[in-house]
Amino acid sequence: MNNVIKMILTLTVIGIFSGGLLSEVSNWATPKIKKNQKAEIEKAIFVVHPNGKYYEVVQNNKVEIYKVFDAEKNLIGYTIVNSGNGFQGKIKIMTGVNIKLNKITSIEILEQVETPGLGTKITEEPFKNQFQEITALPNIIWVKGKSLEQSNEIQTITGATISSKSVVEIVNAGIEKARESKNRGLL
Amino acid sequence: MDLLIIFISAAIVNNFVLSLFLGICPFIGVSNKTSSALSMGMATTFVMVLTAIVSWLLYFLLLVPFKLEFLQIPSFILVIASLVQFVEMVIKKVSQPIYRALGIFLPLITTNCAILGFALLLSMREYTLIQSIIFGLGAGVGFTVALLIMSGIREELELTDVPKAFRGAPITLIIAGLLALAFMGFAGMI
Amino acid sequence: MKKNKTLSYEFIKGLWEINPIFKQVLGMCPTLAVTVSVMNGLAMALATTFVLVFSSLLISSFRKLIPNQVRIAAFIVVIATFVTIADLVMKAKFPELSKALGPFVPLIVVNCLILGRQEVFASKNNPLRSLLDALGNGAGFLIALVIMGGIREIIGSRTLMGYSVLPNSFEPWLIIILPAGAFLTLGLLMGFANLYVERKKRIELEAGIAKYKAAKNTLDIKLGEK
Repeated sequence: MNNVIKMILTLTVIGIFSGGLLSEVSNWATPKIKKNQKAEIEKAIFVVHPNGKYYEVVQNNKVEIYKVFDAEKNLIGYTIVNSGNGFQGKIKIMTGVNIKLNKITSIEILEQVETPGLGTKITEEPFKNQFQEITALPNIIWVKGKSLEQSNEIQTITGATISSKSVVEIVNAGIEKARESKNRGLL
Repeated sequence: MDLLIIFISAAIVNNFVLSLFLGICPFIGVSNKTSSALSMGMATTFVMVLTAIVSWLLYFLLLVPFKLEFLQIPSFILVIASLVQFVEMVIKKVSQPIYRALGIFLPLITTNCAILGFALLLSMREYTLIQSIIFGLGAGVGFTVALLIMSGIREELELTDVPKAFRGAPITLIIAGLLALAFMGFAGMI
Repeated sequence: MKKNKTLSYEFIKGLWEINPIFKQVLGMCPTLAVTVSVMNGLAMALATTFVLVFSSLLISSFRKLIPNQVRIAAFIVVIATFVTIADLVMKAKFPELSKALGPFVPLIVVNCLILGRQEVFASKNNPLRSLLDALGNGAGFLIALVIMGGIREIIGSRTLMGYSVLPNSFEPWLIIILPAGAFLTLGLLMGFANLYVERKKRIELEAGIAKYKAAKNTLDIKLGEK
């Protein structure tokens, strides 16, 4: 009986110690992590909208959208952050679009855990640059191996078809969500 | 359809052992006999499905609403450890044959990183409860398949003349490399 | 544990004699998964060493107070706590690295190396010895991970620490940074390490035999003379 009490006591003490320590560290780290994420998003917004100077968060509970303004504070477009599953895990992408939501300015991959050397090519210039100034209405489609014929097509990466397809799907889904918000008058 | 893709992806295309490197220790340790590989695989699959349910409930109904995400690792590992202990007790009471087949492998599962890795992936991918269960089933089946193939090869390997320095872990790793190469061929499936 | 072992031995043994990867074959998951570059291997090893050192210190300090039946549970909670701290600190201070290591930082919890050292060493030795043991094992782990990362980075993406080291005419062997390459590299590395040790042992053995034979010959000659 004595031993049982000792066992319970030890585990309780360890549990309290661990919980207390972790909540302290978490309190210290959380604002820093948030700041890192915010800085990263800010940087990415101006990468996908090279003419942008200011941005504003659109208060919207369904999808993460930012309004982007140029130096004269004129609205020049939106950036949409959307994520989905890629080949090995979550891919998070920021898409810059014009005001009418029918043309993409550029995209930026925020998070990915694809296969090194193959899937990670989605973060490299040759692939990302395909999305620059591409038509987004009708939806972007991917082609494999063939040459591009229409202004809304992109070429998949050899050996990383799934990752490439996922990027297209995530971008399309993000724009779709943005259109929905626009139809409901939220933008 | 969606569920089928999750299952196939976890079982074959993104095989836990051969492409995510989760559960390497039992893969190398328990893969010398087909019979024990099968038992280990089944025990792991069973625990994975249970873990899927319990950790999903824990994470999405308790940790997220109360903003306690930082307790995720300690709470997951405690839940898994007690779950395994509990399963062992139940099996011992209910069925002696099953206990004899799976019993000694259950304690090993607690430190199997496939299980914790699985629980963490589940919360990262934000699956629903049903998707999580299917994911667990797929991951377990994939683990069993990898273990079975490996044990089959290793049983044959005992009859061959491997250079002394490469016996044991080194040759197992090299074979695993070739298997991983073969499994890469499934990548086009989904 | 024998008390006659010197303190420096507790550190040095981790480097090669009981090297976590090559000799104990523990902690394989992170070794295979994160070593696509030297930097990743280094970061993973440092995070693991951090957890190992603090867990060993804490557990060896309180080793007499922890009841035997619940020791594994106690070890796991302590390890999990330090892993979460490492994870949070990395996310807050080194976001780039934390992204590269992905879900493998939380998996340090189930790195059997850490639990193994608690069970085998820290729960039976005083804090000073445990600290040295943890540092030694951490260093051994680091050596293995950096070698792996180095080989895979040079052959797989022709760079080292991000700098180009091979001429552009060398087509990188993509396979080496894919999962299959991880298994192959580690398998070959372990095999050749064994081969080297074996050869060294054989040379020592042969030298011993030669010495014995020489001694026997001189003895025979001497006996013959008599």
